[in-house]
Amino acid sequence: MAVMGIAEALREGIREEMRRDPTVFCIGEDIGVPGGWGGAFTVTLGLSEEFGPERIIDTPISESGFAGIAVGAAMTGMRPIADVQYGDFLFCMMDQLVNQAAKMTYMAGGAVKVPLVMRAPVGSTRRGAQHAQTLEVFFTHVPGLKVVAPSTAYDAKGLLKAAVRDDNPVLMFEHKLLYGSKGNRAEKGAVSPIGEVPEEDYIVPIGKGAIRRPGKDVTIVGKLLTVYRALGAADQLAEQGIDAEVIDPRTLVPLDKELILESVRKTHRFVVVEEDNRTHGWGAEIAAMVAEEAFWYLDAPPVRVSAPDIPPPFAPGLEELYVPSVDRVVAAVKGLF
Amino acid sequence: MATQVLVPPLGTNVDTVTLVTWYKAEGDAVAAGEPLFAVETDKATLDVEAPAAGTLRGVSAAEGDDVPSLSCIAWIAAEGEALPDGAPTDTDEHLPARTGASPSPPHPLTPSPLHPLTPKASPWARTLAAERGIDWTLLQGTGPQGAVVGRDVEAAAQAGRRPAPTPLAARVAQERGIDLAGVGGTGASGRVTRDDVLRAVAGSEPASDIVETFALTGVRGKIAERMMRGSHETAPVTLTAEVDATALVARRKALQAAGLKVSFNDLLVCILARALGEQPRLNAVYQGDRAVVRRSVDIALAVDTDRGLLAPVLRGAERLTLAQVAEGSAALIARARSGQAGPDELKGGTFTLTNLGMFGIDAFTPIINHPECAILGVGRIKPTPWVVGDCIGIRQALWLSLTFDHRLVDGGPAARFLQSVVRGIEAPGAEDEE
Repeated sequence: MAVMGIAEALREGIREEMRRDPTVFCIGEDIGVPGGWGGAFTVTLGLSEEFGPERIIDTPISESGFAGIAVGAAMTGMRPIADVQYGDFLFCMMDQLVNQAAKMTYMAGGAVKVPLVMRAPVGSTRRGAQHAQTLEVFFTHVPGLKVVAPSTAYDAKGLLKAAVRDDNPVLMFEHKLLYGSKGNRAEKGAVSPIGEVPEEDYIVPIGKGAIRRPGKDVTIVGKLLTVYRALGAADQLAEQGIDAEVIDPRTLVPLDKELILESVRKTHRFVVVEEDNRTHGWGAEIAAMVAEEAFWYLDAPPVRVSAPDIPPPFAPGLEELYVPSVDRVVAAVKGLF
Repeated sequence: MATQVLVPPLGTNVDTVTLVTWYKAEGDAVAAGEPLFAVETDKATLDVEAPAAGTLRGVSAAEGDDVPSLSCIAWIAAEGEALPDGAPTDTDEHLPARTGASPSPPHPLTPSPLHPLTPKASPWARTLAAERGIDWTLLQGTGPQGAVVGRDVEAAAQAGRRPAPTPLAARVAQERGIDLAGVGGTGASGRVTRDDVLRAVAGSEPASDIVETFALTGVRGKIAERMMRGSHETAPVTLTAEVDATALVARRKALQAAGLKVSFNDLLVCILARALGEQPRLNAVYQGDRAVVRRSVDIALAVDTDRGLLAPVLRGAERLTLAQVAEGSAALIARARSGQAGPDELKGGTFTLTNLGMFGIDAFTPIINHPECAILGVGRIKPTPWVVGDCIGIRQALWLSLTFDHRLVDGGPAARFLQSVVRGIEAPGAEDEE
């Protein structure tokens, strides 16, 4: 079994799906230009050599334009994999995604499918307010969109393939610090979630979460980078006698609620860790779900560890305070005992 | 974690005590176990010791206040530690750059503050407590802000579903090396108190020293309750008189010679019936806030049985002949001794006669058979030097002890009643003729 990072795993997933299904194609900015990076983070590097410019389509810097192309292609039988260089640019294509892609199947009574995959890098990586946001919650709020957020190489490939085969529009959020710590696009401070990735065909079903670390004393839910913050906190907490269970939902919509609720019914304590801004955030939704559906099992209030309600700061020192740290997670958990 | 300062439960009949003195003031450092405050019950003043070391904070009761048992009147916390009753914590996560403050990382949100006087339990603790039938309000919380959490309920369930001992009791037990598992609790809902532990200390002699222990239940429990009420809920006064019973002894002999099997008690019942007719206020029972004077003389006869003291009632004595009294009382006493007396026969008397003469007792102070007004205790009849006219003769003397409830009747009528009885004993005959 090959060992690889998330960027490489995604590339393999795209390659296999394009080989398997001729309706699959990629569209985005600088994803296949000769001598380029293969997209902003090397995911599509080298794919144009195998599939050519007809299936690895480079577009001008026009997010609303290529998003419209991708949505239209999906509605008419193709299975596009589009990507933006930075997730922040999704705001340029909100009409295409929210008003068109998400609603078309409902408005057409199911007669129209929109099997679109839109990939977007997110997360604070020294790029400031317009290139480092956490955007998932803008889309988890939209009925009609599925939202996945892989944090391991295995899940990245498996979820990519599941997304391509899904008849609904799927947004795939990838964290810039998780693509890998090697190569000329490696980010400073990147964690390296390299892992074994099967070469044979497999999918990770959309809607199924994973327990990253079993434990009995507290349930910590994270996504993308904060899964690793939670795991770091769990290691520290273990030294202090607190056995934390870390859950990675992997899919944000539809959410594997029962996995989280079952864990909370066992541990009686709940912390959600998110890089999102706090107010009306993703963590708020998860915490509310726990409070509503597992209230009588709680030994302490559900707690959020979030980014503050400001744009991601550019200054490195401030960014370190912005993104939830292992120490903040540890402190939040200890406050529950 | 801040520790609650609780008012100790001081017995099952005490639910509020008066806070007399604080030995420490808000902000003072306290050591675990040193006297923290004093409370006063209707019986005693006692010191309550600090349940933990730290700083006394959040004092919510003042000297002179009436404070309920188990209520939290202060906290012992570390200096600077947030108290559960503190001002709402700042839940906004501002960046230091925005506030200009030191660059410490934003703090995670703390749970909402709750009122310190309200016992707190987590939802899970409540769920578990309901499942296990445990009253979580009696548990000492170990969770955030002192809340009772699941593990506290589990611990209580494992401790035989007993409520936690009071903090003071737990500490005293630890000091004295007493295992609380073997100590019965007399506090609220069976909580073990310091007094329980001290009793256990006193009672921890070798088991071989204990001959017998038995519960005050059943007949014993009923006797205990009646005696407690008779001695605690009445205003008892005992009058004594020594009487010359020579004529009574002679009378009984004559009757027995004539074939009537009659006891001194039978003769006394007839004498009492007549005397009570003369002083009806003594033939009364206490009901709520009033005395009910009865026409029917229903004499309860104190009988020593294997099951304990019973007092079957011979009803309507004023209408009975001596022979009927003798026959009725003999049957009653037999039924009481054999355990066949029905509940109706064991209650509802208006006056009690108790006789310890057969045991060689001269005089005693009977306890009123509540709710009756009075009881006559009869001692032994013994030959005694007695002034007869100008001479000293030997007479059959007898001590009478009349205990009456001074709430219902005064000393004068009671004394006149006793005089009537004395006359009846000294000159028996007329009242018991067929």
